[in-house]
Amino acid sequence: MLESVDTILSSGVRLTAPLAFAACGEYVAERAGTMNISVEAMMLSAAYGSVATASATGSATTGLLAGVLVGMVVGWVHGNLSHRLALNTFVVGLVLNALALGLTSYLITVSTLDSQRPSQASILLLLGIAPLTWWLVERSRWGLELRASGEDPRSAAVTGIRVDARRRQALLWCGALAGLGGAYLAVGEVGSFNQNMTAGRGYLVIAAVIFGAWRLGRTLLGCAVFGLADALRLALPALGVTLNSQVLVAAPYLLALLAMLSFRTSSRAPRALRQG
Amino acid sequence: MTELLQLRGISKRFGPVVACDAVDLTVREGEVHGLLGENGAGKSTLMNVLLGLTQRDAGTIIHRGKTVHVGGPRNAIGLGFGMVHQQLSLVEPLTVWENVILGDRGRVDRAKACADVEAVAARYGLPVDPLSRVDRLSAGERQRVELIKCLRRDPSVLVLDEPTSLLTEAESAELFAVLRRVVRAERRAVILISHRLAEITAATDRVTVLRRGRVVHTGRTAETTPPELARWMVGREVAVEAEAAALGVLVAPAQAAATTTAAPVLRVRDLRVLVGGTPRLDGLSLDVAPGEILGLYGVEGNGQDVLGDVLAGLVTPDGGTVEVGGQPIDLTRPGALHLAGVGVVPEDRRTALVLDMTVAENLAMKAPMSAFPNRRRMRAAAGRLVEEYGIAVPSLDAPARALSGGNQQRLVLARELSAAPRVLVAAQPTQGLDVGAIGDVHRRFQRVADQGVGVLLISTALEEVLALASRVAVISSGRIAGILPAEEATGERLGLLVGGA
Repeated sequence: MLESVDTILSSGVRLTAPLAFAACGEYVAERAGTMNISVEAMMLSAAYGSVATASATGSATTGLLAGVLVGMVVGWVHGNLSHRLALNTFVVGLVLNALALGLTSYLITVSTLDSQRPSQASILLLLGIAPLTWWLVERSRWGLELRASGEDPRSAAVTGIRVDARRRQALLWCGALAGLGGAYLAVGEVGSFNQNMTAGRGYLVIAAVIFGAWRLGRTLLGCAVFGLADALRLALPALGVTLNSQVLVAAPYLLALLAMLSFRTSSRAPRALRQG
Repeated sequence: MTELLQLRGISKRFGPVVACDAVDLTVREGEVHGLLGENGAGKSTLMNVLLGLTQRDAGTIIHRGKTVHVGGPRNAIGLGFGMVHQQLSLVEPLTVWENVILGDRGRVDRAKACADVEAVAARYGLPVDPLSRVDRLSAGERQRVELIKCLRRDPSVLVLDEPTSLLTEAESAELFAVLRRVVRAERRAVILISHRLAEITAATDRVTVLRRGRVVHTGRTAETTPPELARWMVGREVAVEAEAAALGVLVAPAQAAATTTAAPVLRVRDLRVLVGGTPRLDGLSLDVAPGEILGLYGVEGNGQDVLGDVLAGLVTPDGGTVEVGGQPIDLTRPGALHLAGVGVVPEDRRTALVLDMTVAENLAMKAPMSAFPNRRRMRAAAGRLVEEYGIAVPSLDAPARALSGGNQQRLVLARELSAAPRVLVAAQPTQGLDVGAIGDVHRRFQRVADQGVGVLLISTALEEVLALASRVAVISSGRIAGILPAEEATGERLGLLVGGA
């Protein structure tokens, strides 16, 4: 029994890490006022890009870096479409998600990828990235302007802040970290790329930010809860429990829904997200 | 006195609309300069040009004798132009000190920012806690924060756009005293934008009057009289009561309270509304008789906006009852008040209109409608209302957005009255309107009351309440502090009730 708890915990940590990386990014994008649903596209395309690069260069580290870059490209595209050309951010996000799924599914049919040796040490990056994200948002001038852009874009603009620029920058940051999350999942954890391998983890990240009520600490706690739920789901057959695993897949979203319900009266969402 | 700022030949058009037409404005050191004009006269556009928020089509800006380039807001801030906007530019979930340093550059230093706030606050007498969140502050306190934010940058020219629209009389007086201190400090000037004559005559040294984008008068305030200013501003003779309202002069109400003995058409009992745990309405009760105008007067933030929302069906109260014509209304059912015959002119007319829908569609919204409305009949009905209420519209198919504030207000009024209400609730019906439009709206209310409708007039403008109402109820901390017949409602007695007995 103790052994299985140990297994669940360690696999829980490994399943939490990709969510936590991406959540640090999504948190920033949302604080700046973008409900960024393309985080799924960022993670998925980064997962492919990292595996492809790692397989070409033979270096898992290069693969991780490539994932970061691919995620930033998605963030750059999203940022320019919705915060320069003023396209609806949800539509852009949906299109990017569909595009990433289609493109990566196509690419694995035309390329052969070598399996990579996992390098789980990159999980330690989280210990640096999470506090850095917090400091940037809560303590830096950039973060102050970012929060102002998310809470009241009109007032921020009148004060001389370039709201759209801040939001594009936030999406770049989000792309980098969501990319790292996707790359970690592919190169660091699985060691290969499967079709739709993120399987909605991007949406899980969005759910975590909502669960965390737009606070970083609670958001990361949400990631841990979701990661453990996932680990539990995978461990159930071995434990001899016959609980419908689909229910556990749905559990994180149910939690996010409950969290939203309980914050209904004291909504802490950035005000720009509440419009429309 | 030397000339601090000169605007020469500033022109700006938005499509076919000329907002500013070769406007000249000279502001001297050490003066409070009034900028007077109706809504849409070009005051705000002119100042947005100065502040770099709007790019001008033509003209030059000369600051301390040098022609300067104003490309954007940061540019203007660098030149020492600061502005307190009508809609304050504060980010509400942030703290006071965070808001104050928002436009700065460089490292965020909380201790220094707080010290700055306190230093400016002490220098000009604007007490505020730098650590509190802006959304927990009152309207007056927010104005102070906005002032501190501007003053900390040591501006040479400080612009205030309709600064008293949300302030009480006392807070306004305090603000003007602060402005005196501001200009007395070295080499500085204040531009005060307003359409309230009383404010301009009381607080400014010189005044420039704009009408339809042109300067029609400029000179020392002491050498003009309020009626003169009103004529310059409006360009026509204005109705006595509208002028009186604009001047802040009190006129006797048209009729005495003879109708209060009739059975009330609107009966509100023990209304309670909690917002975030604090009571905004705390057992409020009042009656409105048919044919009377009951004025609800009080300082902003005492619950009158909540009462307006309840009667508009936007807020479901936590307790209490509303009866219309003796019938209790189920307030949890949307549209119940409307069906019972309550017409509402809300405080923000944009909530009463769908701005992107046409004039005809907006007017038809309260009319009974079949599943397939006949557009020709709808337009015909709209045409009649537009004519009857004198609404200036480019066309019946123009979006409501294209109308000026006064005409939007007439549009709301026309629609609400076309449904033949038994009760009309109007919240701040003349806020932001010019003198001509105010007179028109007031006449409409009187006519409606003469026809036997019970009118509840919610207003923070004392002169408006006294000009129209036959009885005045004073709201304080979410309850009625007292009700006076209009002839007994002197400023003093009301002031005592407002102060909270």
